[in-house]
Amino acid sequence: MKETIKNTTLADRLLFLLLISLSVAGIFISRDALSQGSEVVIEVDGKPAYTLPLYEDRLVSVGGSYGDTLIEIKEKKVRVREAHCPNQICVKEGWISKGVIVCLPNKLIIIVGGSKKDEQLGIDAITG
Amino acid sequence: MSTYKKSKALLDTFVAITVVADSKETAEEAIDNAFDVIEKFGELINFYSDKSELSAVNRNAGIREVKVSPETLDIIEKAVYIAERSGGAFDPTIGPEIQLWDFFNKIRPSDADIRKNLSLVNYKNIIIDKGNSTVFLKKKDMLLDLGGIAKGYAADLAVQALKEKGISAGLVAVAGDIKAFGLKTDKKPWTVGIKNPRQKSSEDEIIAKIHLSGKAISTSGDYERYFMLNGQRFHHLLNPRTGYPAYACQSVSVIADQAVMTDAFSTALFILGPEKGLELAKEMGIDALIIDDKSSVHTTSGLEGILFLERNH
Repeated sequence: MKETIKNTTLADRLLFLLLISLSVAGIFISRDALSQGSEVVIEVDGKPAYTLPLYEDRLVSVGGSYGDTLIEIKEKKVRVREAHCPNQICVKEGWISKGVIVCLPNKLIIIVGGSKKDEQLGIDAITG
Repeated sequence: MSTYKKSKALLDTFVAITVVADSKETAEEAIDNAFDVIEKFGELINFYSDKSELSAVNRNAGIREVKVSPETLDIIEKAVYIAERSGGAFDPTIGPEIQLWDFFNKIRPSDADIRKNLSLVNYKNIIIDKGNSTVFLKKKDMLLDLGGIAKGYAADLAVQALKEKGISAGLVAVAGDIKAFGLKTDKKPWTVGIKNPRQKSSEDEIIAKIHLSGKAISTSGDYERYFMLNGQRFHHLLNPRTGYPAYACQSVSVIADQAVMTDAFSTALFILGPEKGLELAKEMGIDALIIDDKSSVHTTSGLEGILFLERNH
């Protein structure tokens, strides 16, 4: 096994990596098509800035009044990993898989689930 | 007529406003104005901001009375009224006890600290002078925390602001404190989902749906801010008499005309438990859906025909 790896060229390894990422992407794409309303919407100052699938791990940096806020999507959960706002309420919120994280100082809202799901449930809002 | 929806981060939470209007311009103008009203109100009663009137009142606890604006005076008056009517089950002076808990870092305060701060919790030590528009907290280190009533109050303010701009139907959701008025474009009332306090999958997120028009709803649940320690759940709904979480309910939703009432009474009923809670609801002429510690559902009769429990409940 060690020999095999040693004998591969850089191109081989790149191809291998590409194949893996394609297959992983395939899983995400099919999952995404199956899952409904599993979106992460990031709003800045009342306007939607990003709409991202919850099933794709990634880090997003969003600018605001207190510099960049680092948002992490991982294993179908979202959190604010790093923020420079004074109260850190958004960071303390921790991981969420649905609902909302708000960073008031940065005028940032992260919504998981979104209104699509409410429509499916036949409701206009949720209490609790 | 069409439906327009907009959301904004205000009052350290998420505010969504939906309105029925004849144009996008009309809708946006009315919604943005309502957001402004909430924002201005939030600046007066922000617990965390040194600039708010509320923190001026808290800083001067045991020292002197503080002159406040009519809105601040009004919400404090309402908080005291609900504290009185609920026999102290809702108490806006719970601040010193809440501050001891850290639900994020799972820190349970010592019994001695909880006992010590109990002497600071008593709404009767809020002295309101209506004529001079002042508020005074009698004891040093008392803390007035309007977190259990401000979101509902804000929803009422927003609905009033929308109506003043000529909007005749809409829904304001300040997090889970919701007020609906008028009818939707399909001439039906608004439908609000009530969260299942013990959700197990994405299929059972909602425990019931309720139809509302001209009414408000709020929910207090033990699943909102909590941590588990040695198999016990420690949550943010503290009994003002003991300083410890109340355990008779998992969730309480209250339905009434004003969101300021539903917000504070949902906390009060949660602390009182199903039996005394329903009694108080009847006495106050408000409606309630109570899910007790064994997941059994209790409701007032006024919800008949508008409340629809999901299957399995």
